[in-house]
Order: sequence, then C-alpha cells, then structure tokens
Amino acid sequence: MKEAAIAQTENERLNAKLEQANRQLLQSEKLAAIGQLAAGVAHEINNPVGYIYSNLQSLEGYLNDIFRLTDAVDSARSLEDLQLIKKNIDYDYLRSDLKDLLAESREGIDRVKTIISAMKDFSHIEDEEFKPADLHRGIETTLNVVNNELKYKAEIIRDFGDLPEIDCIISQINQVIMNLLVNAAHAIEEFGKITIRTRHEGEQAIIEIEDNGKGISPENLNRIFEPFYTTKPIGKGTGLGLSLSFNIVEKHKGRIEALSTPGHGTCFRITLPVNQPEQGNDG
Amino acid sequence: MTRIQLVDDEPNILSSLRRLLKPQGWQVDTFTQVEDALGALLEHEYAVIISDYQMPTADGVTYLQFAKQKQPDAIRLVLSAYGDRASMIKAINQAEVYRYLSKPWDDYEVVAAIKSALDLYQLHKENQRLREENDRQRAELKAREEELLRLEADSPGITRVRRDADGSVILNHD
Repeated sequence: MKEAAIAQTENERLNAKLEQANRQLLQSEKLAAIGQLAAGVAHEINNPVGYIYSNLQSLEGYLNDIFRLTDAVDSARSLEDLQLIKKNIDYDYLRSDLKDLLAESREGIDRVKTIISAMKDFSHIEDEEFKPADLHRGIETTLNVVNNELKYKAEIIRDFGDLPEIDCIISQINQVIMNLLVNAAHAIEEFGKITIRTRHEGEQAIIEIEDNGKGISPENLNRIFEPFYTTKPIGKGTGLGLSLSFNIVEKHKGRIEALSTPGHGTCFRITLPVNQPEQGNDG
Repeated sequence: MTRIQLVDDEPNILSSLRRLLKPQGWQVDTFTQVEDALGALLEHEYAVIISDYQMPTADGVTYLQFAKQKQPDAIRLVLSAYGDRASMIKAINQAEVYRYLSKPWDDYEVVAAIKSALDLYQLHKENQRLREENDRQRAELKAREEELLRLEADSPGITRVRRDADGSVILNHD
C-alpha cells in the first residue's frame, strides 16, 4: 500500500513537471512567433510615428506664423499691415491644413495604441484559466498583430456569424489563429485572399481560415501537425506552430482539421465546444 | 517647374511630406497607387521620384526600376520603414537609388536629400544640354567645311581668293 502511495505521488510529481515543460514550450513558441513578427510590427509603428513626428515640426512652423500675426496686433500701425501679414503667412491654408494635420496625427496615435495593446493582449503569460471570451475580439486583436505580414499578401475577408462567448483560454486561441493566418499568408505567392469564417452550430463554435494559396500536397497534409515538421526554409518556421495549435485545441476539447487542394488553397477548421465539460479540470 | 513624385500606400505619410515640402515651392505629385504613379510618368517629367518600399501591389524597388526605364534622368530615392539589408541591397543594385531614407524620418534630412538630388538632376540636364550644343556646333562646322571643299572642287582656288581692303578681288600673283 505504502509503495503504491509513493508511486502515486511520484507520478503526480512527474505529471506536474511535464505540464510545466509543456507550458514553457508553448510560451517560448509564442515568443518565437512574436520575434518573427517584430520586424513587421516595427514597420507598422514606424509609419505613423514617421508622419506624426514630421507633422509636429510642421505644426511648429504654423504656430510661429500664427504668433507672428497675433504679436503684430500690438505693434502694427494699421489694419492693412495686419492684413498683409495674414496674407503672407497664407492664413487660409494654415487654418484648413491644421485641422487635417491634427486629425491625421490623432489617427496615427490611435493606430500605434491599437498595435501596442494588441501586442500586450497577445503576449499575456498569466491568464491560464478557462474564461468566457469573445472570439471575434480575439480574431481582431490577432489581425492587428499580424497585419503587416498580411496586408501585402492578401485581402482579408471577414465572414462572421453570431457567436456566443466561448469558454476558452483566449490568449492560446489567439495564438492558434495567428499561426493559421501567418501560414495562410506564406502559402500565397503573389497577392491572394484569406477568408475568416465563424459560425455557431449547436453546442459548437466553428472558425475557418481559408486561403487561395498554393495548397498542401497529400503526403505533407498527413504530417503538418507533427512537431518540428516544416517545409519552410531554416529560420522561417520552427515546425512547432501547427503541432502546438493542435495541442491547444485538444486541450480545449476541440478539433482542428485541414482540407487542401494543391494549387487552389487550404482551409483550416477549428471546432470548439461553447461550454467546457468540466471547467478547470483538464486532466 | 520642378516636379517631384511621391509614392506611398499610406495617405497620411503623403500629407505630412506635402506639408514638409510646400515651403520649397516645388510641384509635388503624390500617389497611393503604383499604377497611377506609373501613369503619371507618361504625362510629366519628374526631377525626383521618392517611393516607399513595401506596398501592396508592387514593392518600391520594382516601381523605381520601371521609373528608371521610363524616365532615366529622374533621381530615385527610397523612403522606407523596412530597413533590412536585403531590401537596401536590392534598392541600390537594381533600382540604382540615390538615397535610402528611413522612417521615421528627419525633416531636415529629407529636404536636404531632395535638394541634393535636384542639384544632381540639374547637373545631368546641364551636362546633356552642353553636349547637345557641342554636337550641334560640330555638325555646323562640318557642314561648312564640306561646302568649302565642294566649292574648291568645282572651282579650284576659289576658297583662297585674296581681296583688297575695299573688297575688290586681287588677280595678280606675286
């Protein structure tokens, strides 16, 4: 009896260790993926920062011109002098362009804010519990993070159905969606289409990510969920993306399947239960 | 008037550059679509063309290569937020760009780069104008020489006629 008890605790200890190793692997794959996206995200941020910075310098010039006019209110000898300054500084242009300058800069700041908060949502380490979450919001967050990888490769088509909140670890589902989106973009050679479809069927939520890229040959299709299996060149892929996606979906008691026609494209379908059968107990 | 073409898929970048360049008094044409920018190359002569690197339908280097074929004299610059080595090498070797500027940019740097590109453009133009003038003058000189040779062949000695101070022809040999 005693021996059995010892074996039992030993078993539990090993299980806990395995669970921890799995979590670390998941986290490092996530960080590796973000690392690969970093150049793209920098590009996304440098664009708005570029024009905001330049706009601020133009704004300084505009303000100097306007101060020249307001300062002249005290020193000018006649109204004509003031009117001459007003004409010289092209006041009407300043007035109308100031509005655009501020609106465009604000738009830029909003974009940087969106990207930063998406990155933050995305890289969350702590929340490991199942919670009701809005999948559409998760998809939008993920799209913001990978936007730079996608926008030069494909048009994104959202075909969203009505979805209730789903019991899931949203940061992990986001990671799966990111993997599928980046893979879809890599499969497209010139410029294509990526369709994201969601629907609610009975007790299940379905997400489909379909591209019209080069497709996966049948012999590769059987192996895509194997760890370290990749057809991408060295340095481009870890070979872990889909295998971890598979583990994540499995942990959610869901399914992930791929349908592909070489030359026509690939469709990944994730099926997730709306409610987890026994919450918090995924042993 | 000095014409400058700006190509970037982000309209806000174009607005801020237009603001920046307005005081210089150049004619600045901006395009968010590579296709439209290509069309404009057929209508106007540009002194300087500045393109973004990453754009949806064609990358900046490919566009500048086209521009180089259509308007070889225009000086080409890249303004990009994507400063990796491969893209720079491509820009220099394939599109033969004059400068590679990065985003976010320094206003002074952009204006200075365009000004020095304009100097280069004007230098090329001046050079070309002088060469053409030189060619024309040479051709004139050659035609004149040929005419003289023809006259001499027709009437030997006619090109060596000696005249007196009042214009009368001197016939006696001395």
